[in-house]
Amino acid sequence: MTDRALTFLAKLQALFAQKRADTAFDEEMCTHLEMLAEKYEREGMSSREAARSARRQFGNTTLLKQRQRESRTTMFFANVWRDVRYGVRQLAKTPVFTIVCLLTLGLGVGANTAVFSVMHAVLMKMLPVQDASRVFYLHTTGFPDGASQTGDSNTSFSYPIYRALSERSGLQDVMAFIPMSSTGKAPVRVGTAPEEAAGDMVSGNYFSGLGVGTELGRSFVQKDEDDHTPVTVISDKFWATHFDRSRDAIGKTLYIKSIAFTIVGVAIKGFEGTEGKLPLDFWIPLQSRPEFNAWGSPAEDGTYLTRQNFWCMKLMVRTALGVSREQALARAQAVFEQAAYTGVPQKHAGSETYQLSFMDGKQFDGQNDSFARALKTLMAMVCLVLLIAMSNVVMLLMARNASRQREFAVRLALGAGRKEMVRQLLTESVLLVALGGIAAWAFALGATHALGAWAQIESNLQPDRTVLWFTLSVLFVLALVFGLAPLRAAMSSGPEMVLRSSATVSQSSSQKMRAGNAVIVTQIAMCVVLLVGAALLLGTLRNLLNTPLGQKPQGLLVFGVQPQHAHSAEESIAFFVALQQRLRTIPGVESVSMAMNRPGSGWSNNNSGVLVDGHKANGIEPEQVTFRGNVVGADYFHTMGVPFVQGRDFSDGDSHTAPKTVIVNETFATKYLGTLNATGHILSDGKGTDPSLIIGVVKNHKYTSITEEAMPMLWTAYTQGGAVNQLNIEMRVNGDPLAMLPTVRKIITPIDPDMPLLEPMTQTAVFEQSISQQALFARLAGCFGVLAVVLIATGLYGTLAYRVSRRSAEIGVRMALGAQRSQVVWMVLRGSLLLCAAGVVLGVPLAMAAGKGLESSLYGMKSLDAASYAFAIVGVALVALLASAVPASRAASVDPASALRME
Amino acid sequence: MAADKSEVLQGTLDLMILKTLQALGPLHGFGIARRIEQLSEDVLTLNEGTVYTSLLRLQQKSWIASEWGVSENNRRARFYSITRRGMKQLAVETENWERIAAVIGRVLALEAKAWP
Repeated sequence: MTDRALTFLAKLQALFAQKRADTAFDEEMCTHLEMLAEKYEREGMSSREAARSARRQFGNTTLLKQRQRESRTTMFFANVWRDVRYGVRQLAKTPVFTIVCLLTLGLGVGANTAVFSVMHAVLMKMLPVQDASRVFYLHTTGFPDGASQTGDSNTSFSYPIYRALSERSGLQDVMAFIPMSSTGKAPVRVGTAPEEAAGDMVSGNYFSGLGVGTELGRSFVQKDEDDHTPVTVISDKFWATHFDRSRDAIGKTLYIKSIAFTIVGVAIKGFEGTEGKLPLDFWIPLQSRPEFNAWGSPAEDGTYLTRQNFWCMKLMVRTALGVSREQALARAQAVFEQAAYTGVPQKHAGSETYQLSFMDGKQFDGQNDSFARALKTLMAMVCLVLLIAMSNVVMLLMARNASRQREFAVRLALGAGRKEMVRQLLTESVLLVALGGIAAWAFALGATHALGAWAQIESNLQPDRTVLWFTLSVLFVLALVFGLAPLRAAMSSGPEMVLRSSATVSQSSSQKMRAGNAVIVTQIAMCVVLLVGAALLLGTLRNLLNTPLGQKPQGLLVFGVQPQHAHSAEESIAFFVALQQRLRTIPGVESVSMAMNRPGSGWSNNNSGVLVDGHKANGIEPEQVTFRGNVVGADYFHTMGVPFVQGRDFSDGDSHTAPKTVIVNETFATKYLGTLNATGHILSDGKGTDPSLIIGVVKNHKYTSITEEAMPMLWTAYTQGGAVNQLNIEMRVNGDPLAMLPTVRKIITPIDPDMPLLEPMTQTAVFEQSISQQALFARLAGCFGVLAVVLIATGLYGTLAYRVSRRSAEIGVRMALGAQRSQVVWMVLRGSLLLCAAGVVLGVPLAMAAGKGLESSLYGMKSLDAASYAFAIVGVALVALLASAVPASRAASVDPASALRME
Repeated sequence: MAADKSEVLQGTLDLMILKTLQALGPLHGFGIARRIEQLSEDVLTLNEGTVYTSLLRLQQKSWIASEWGVSENNRRARFYSITRRGMKQLAVETENWERIAAVIGRVLALEAKAWP
């Protein structure tokens, strides 16, 4: 065996040195002949005679050369090349078949690759850090009463906890990172134009603890954290886009929130931070300035460093070598339990103990469940699509190869070996799969991009090496299946087949028919499952889109503004009041207002603790009185287009000096006041202080998202509250809202050149984004449903057309014996309808099971939605009829005389 | 032309070349042909070109190696030498050959009388 292998290797090597070996052998041969001739001369021959004798003794040189060349290298490649050329010719001869196969494969495999690529990036990929298995995100199950936190309750910790864990828990490193704002972005400036960039404020050991190096310069050290040095490390991408990868970037200044930071390093390529969806542009060490308070919140009561009950830091840990995850977690838990109550009332006996947990150091930290579930469902759907696609191509191949039986028989009769035939068929299928694979990869690259954009993931999702392996292994399996499945049909033909008449051949065996039927029935069943799923999800999307919002988002422009030089309450309120006045004067602007949380973005203040007129609200304990709140400006409801039940909107008169006012919604009024007639009542906090007057009741409308249930809500005016560091400006304008942006920028720039407009967009788009995930899910499911239908249609059509063409002799006989055309048509149609019915019977229970799994992703739909099922069943029935229409009419047009004459 | 000369079997030629190279060390194709001619005392007839077919086969199996050098009369020639793998193979083949030769010898030595 090894001798064979060695020989093969030697031959392989020789492939690349053909010419050289030829000349070398020529030379060797000449030398030999000359030496032989010399020998003969020495023995007394004349020189001519010696040369002749030498040549005779040596043998036929041309033949020898040819033999030598043949055995020097291998015929393998020449043979494969011949097979490939033959295969290409075969594929080119049946272009429709080839195109259908390639499209089927491209879409089937491409969709799989794209979904797998996103799933891999989101659910499986680890952070590009050193020894990622020892790096974990820190999560908690809760936080004590009295702590104030950011909304991400699982991942927020206070500064005392961070210090305690780094000093006492025995973890090798505890890395802290804090987003610059609730969007993760902050205003920055490199040259003259201000813009938004994503960044984190991180602990000194952030880079060293993660084991992330730099392309250029240095990363942070502990001293940077202790001294709060104004230095920054930028990402490779930011370096490329803003500094053209110039080494001079080091030492340059990056203005972040108008403060000058010196660039000291560029993070290693591929590291985009630890914020999952949002790739970061820069990192700065933990800062102590008030404008760099955690998440960009106002620092009136102190920053995250001084407010011990402010849970705002995200933490990651690296466990020490040789310490198991469980041991490390147990020690951290002990430290955490103590430190958690720093700055808040001590734990009551018997109240819940908050549990820490370590989450794997993946690219996306504990990606929210609904997205993970959606991805897994999509993966299941594309797998079904791939199965359908695969069985389709197999059936097409089988049909084609069966019709080539004559060709095979002739080739066998002419002396082709079975080995050659197998190689030929395998080459053809490999060729098909290879071409399909290229199409699939191209499709996947585009589809991944679209998936990422729709899911609002800015970080890199492009297929990587793991995904490539996944796709290659799928393709490999396909190539095997495609090569081997049709083999039996093809090989069953012996050379004697040539001699048989076509009538004998047309007797397709009932066993083969049954196998084909089983495949079609399974395909239809899978199609029913996909269609039901698609119908349910599209119904969900329709419900979402048709949900009344209770307001008029059309014609509204929204953008965030963060004043860089107004810090106290008075300064910031004055800034925004002036800004509102200024913006109102723009021609074409109907009204202007502002809100702290952008409606539709998912953010809200969630508060509790209210007394009504000094008493319990409708008999409910103050701490049970929970509601969603927002802080807004004058004319807010007028601008948003929310109708009033009674009372008035906030006005310019509701200033800092005027009595405090609030506006509530219907649900708040009925639930906590027992009446819609709520204006004039006084709300105060749980202790009966800080009274404010209800001046209006508005209709229920959506605040955080489209899917929000009606719940109690309350609005206050920012002019009557504390410092505001950022507000979203809502502008109702005539015409296209985005067309107003340049005008707005012209007004803002003179006020503060370091102040970009934050996330400018239409209010309609904000609400659309709140359901973008569901929309994406539904649209993709719809696409896959359509894809499945198209595949089934082609598969069914191909099979039926093939069967009819094989039965044309039989049909001819039937018609000659008096069968009506309608009877023949019905015979074909009945066959496909029976198959369809069997598929539906098999598919409906499967669909019911699948629908159960989808339940949590549905909105306003039941998983047993009758209309969806009817749609799916009618859909496949129509497809079956359409697909069999052409073959049926062909059957009807069989001319009995000519069909019989062909025999 | 020479009815009293036997054809050389392919496998036999391989074996003879291996043995020649083992016994005499590196040789060029002409040298190998001479040596075999000499040893066979003109009993074996040989198209000398066949030697090269055999040499290529042996080389592909890594039983021999080759190297360009200069012949005794100052010609550029390719010298073949036996490799370690070739040595092993030669031992195996030699044993095989001897066993078969012995068997054939015994069979041919049978006397007709032994049969009834």
